[in-house]
Amino acid sequence: MQKITVFSAKKVITMDPNQPSATHVAVLGDRILAVGQADCADQWGDVIHDDSLSDFVLTPGFVEGHAHMMAGAIWDFAYAGYHDRIDPDGKLWSGKGDLNTVIGDLSDYEKTLPDDQPLVGWGLDPIFLQDERLSRKHLDQISETRPIAVMFSNFHLMCVNSKALDMVGYTNETNAEGVIKDDAGHPTGELQEMAAMFPVMRRLGIDFRSLSQTEPAIRSYAKVCQRAGVTTVTDLFSTLTDEDVTTLTSVTGEAQFPVRIVPALAAIGAAPAEIAQFALKLRSMSTDKLRLGAVKLMTDGSIQGWTARVKWPGYVGGQPNGLWNTPPELIYELVEEMQRAGVQMHIHVNGDEASDVSIDAIEAASRKHPWPEARHVLQHCQMMGVDQFKRCANMGICTNIFANHIWYFGDQHAALTIGNDRAERMDAVRAALDAGVNVAIHSDAPVTPMGPLFTAWCAVTRQTMSGRVLGAGQCISVEEALHAITLGAAYTLKLDRDIGSIETGKIADFAILAQDPTESDGIALKDIEVKGTVSSGVVHLI
Amino acid sequence: MTGIPLTVIGGYLGAGKTTLINQILRDPQGKRYLVMVNDFGAINVDASLLASADEDTIQLSNGCVCCTMGADLFLAIGDVLDGDMRPDHIVIEASGIADPAKIANVAVAEPDLVYQGIITVVDGANILDQLVDRFVGDQVRDQIRVADLIYVSKTELSDHLSMQLTTISKAPILESDAATIEMLLSPSTPKAPNPTTAPHTAYTKWFTEADVAFNRNTLIYALQNRPEGVFRMKGFVRAETRMLSVHVVGAHIDVTTFPNDVETGLVAIGLASEMNPQDLNKWWAKAKEKALTPYSML
Ligand SMILES: [Zn+2]
Repeated sequence: MQKITVFSAKKVITMDPNQPSATHVAVLGDRILAVGQADCADQWGDVIHDDSLSDFVLTPGFVEGHAHMMAGAIWDFAYAGYHDRIDPDGKLWSGKGDLNTVIGDLSDYEKTLPDDQPLVGWGLDPIFLQDERLSRKHLDQISETRPIAVMFSNFHLMCVNSKALDMVGYTNETNAEGVIKDDAGHPTGELQEMAAMFPVMRRLGIDFRSLSQTEPAIRSYAKVCQRAGVTTVTDLFSTLTDEDVTTLTSVTGEAQFPVRIVPALAAIGAAPAEIAQFALKLRSMSTDKLRLGAVKLMTDGSIQGWTARVKWPGYVGGQPNGLWNTPPELIYELVEEMQRAGVQMHIHVNGDEASDVSIDAIEAASRKHPWPEARHVLQHCQMMGVDQFKRCANMGICTNIFANHIWYFGDQHAALTIGNDRAERMDAVRAALDAGVNVAIHSDAPVTPMGPLFTAWCAVTRQTMSGRVLGAGQCISVEEALHAITLGAAYTLKLDRDIGSIETGKIADFAILAQDPTESDGIALKDIEVKGTVSSGVVHLI
Repeated sequence: MTGIPLTVIGGYLGAGKTTLINQILRDPQGKRYLVMVNDFGAINVDASLLASADEDTIQLSNGCVCCTMGADLFLAIGDVLDGDMRPDHIVIEASGIADPAKIANVAVAEPDLVYQGIITVVDGANILDQLVDRFVGDQVRDQIRVADLIYVSKTELSDHLSMQLTTISKAPILESDAATIEMLLSPSTPKAPNPTTAPHTAYTKWFTEADVAFNRNTLIYALQNRPEGVFRMKGFVRAETRMLSVHVVGAHIDVTTFPNDVETGLVAIGLASEMNPQDLNKWWAKAKEKALTPYSML
């Protein structure tokens, strides 16, 4: 017989309107048996009281509805970014505010590497650095004999040292686009876009595939989640070979594995009907901790890269409209096929033209193949206006909004991409909720760090890096933000039957917090300390 | 050069890229092609040619291989370069919305590959509408702009269409798939053409022994100003103190130091209807006169 465990807590925030808070929660196996006071489970027989969490606040385990598995294994490389960040093992990597710090910190790191290993860094963001551009000359100060490559935060650019240039054979005679040269015609070390970076990556053994779906990558990802209080996480845009599914099933199947993974199959590389059939086959292979069956569609690029498809009047700098990754014609075809086959879609839409086309495509498909429970999800939704949100509400389309963007890129958007007025109504969570749309908010880790409480803080305060409030009219309440990172996100994954609130019958997934997010106490949401999680009834303290 | 030639076939959805690739696979003329496609569904492999197939590779009995590139094309290229199978030529079918130049640039950057041009396939019946489409018009135009060779499928090339395409790109325009493949396969070893081989219908060749030393920048300047109609040019030219390898495809010009001393020579290939060997002779004679004049004094 399994034992009933009754956890006591400083407070249990349930997200259940029938009992918004409690002091105890009873767990039987992986499920919540009862919620209430110390005696809440006494009707069920003998209980064991567990007071190990009594100093902490329990909330439903957080649900990260848009992130990527490489957020874990990317830490195999040295962090070179501007902001402080914590790796999966809890080590703090301090932010590098200028080039000297970048070079200094990487030099220290270099000394710890075995001789035959290249130095690979990631996360550099020159937007935030006031100095001259990073070049091979700087990286040569770290080492002239060891190849060095530092990837930029957007993964579209990198800078390498002279040794790495030599390994490829890049010289002043190289004529490839993206191999940047100085005034004298010599490569500066900066390489732009994949074609120019590929020869270096090949020779340095940088293979992005190993950052996902391998056993170490899955485990690192789980650690990232645990530190953020996340008990259910997506991996949006997965390639899922038979071997990948076998590995994922076995690792997530371990009783001690602390997170439920929801991969969404990348909808590319085959005809729409084949993709749909494959997704349905994957769905039948789901387990409790591995929920398969959804797909992810790409449509446009990113706003800060000027590749998002935006409606008139476009970009304030006069840049041409962005690029489709999937042409609208094919979006219609894919959407119709998924809708027909009964496959849930997550659709990447950054610009408002991309969201418009996607909503149109879903409307057209739903007229042919009605499916009120489809719950297709628009992802990012950064420029959607009230008109689009209302259409989503009418059709049951969910939105997962990129709230972290406000803090990280809000100032850039006001100054450089879409201008002040449209930046103030970006990532419009208030408008979406008022229109009656189901809303989640996300980090898109590793693009920004995973941390639902930080994401919630962004949606509540709409503060940018410079400290300004970007569009006070779109701020939401703390309660609404907590809903978005729990039940709201669970709904977008069709998992609200099992997770998202602390209610009898649901899976025992909790975030363990040091402070109460609903009582400000002068502590910002983002500064609340995560102590660990309970995942399917198993306690995982950090 | 020992790199593997790489050609990218671009063009919007439904342009006819796959049909062209099928033609190549059916009759590879003794070469082992490796074709990378988005999905097999579209490739209609002749059952009599099928040797084996698995999740992401199809082997043909004529030595050609077809593979799906999945989410990351570049990693798939890396697998080929680091694998056991060494194809004679890699052909990549770009997705319908992709910028073929962004893919083909990898062959310029990677020393183990040789840039062999971009063929953009245009659906003659629909291209004029596609070019003004409010969503994809600019991207379709860019696919044509970066082409080294344009192949118009499905209809005859009208004067109006020809004029429209010429305003976007200077690349030669072909109407027949056979001629397109011939241009793609045209051998470009820097040797004098063998007089015994029958003249091809689609392309013509020009050759010079290039027995004069050049200043590198001056040579590049001359190549930039070569007569129209040259699709590819390849060979070795001597600089003052070293050997230069010359590789020209369409608008792309590569002139790099070559470590070994080899016989000089330059061969040009172009459409028979567009390239005139006489013009090339005149052009080369003029270029030789200024061979050692520094570029700044031209
Ligand atoms: Zn993403």
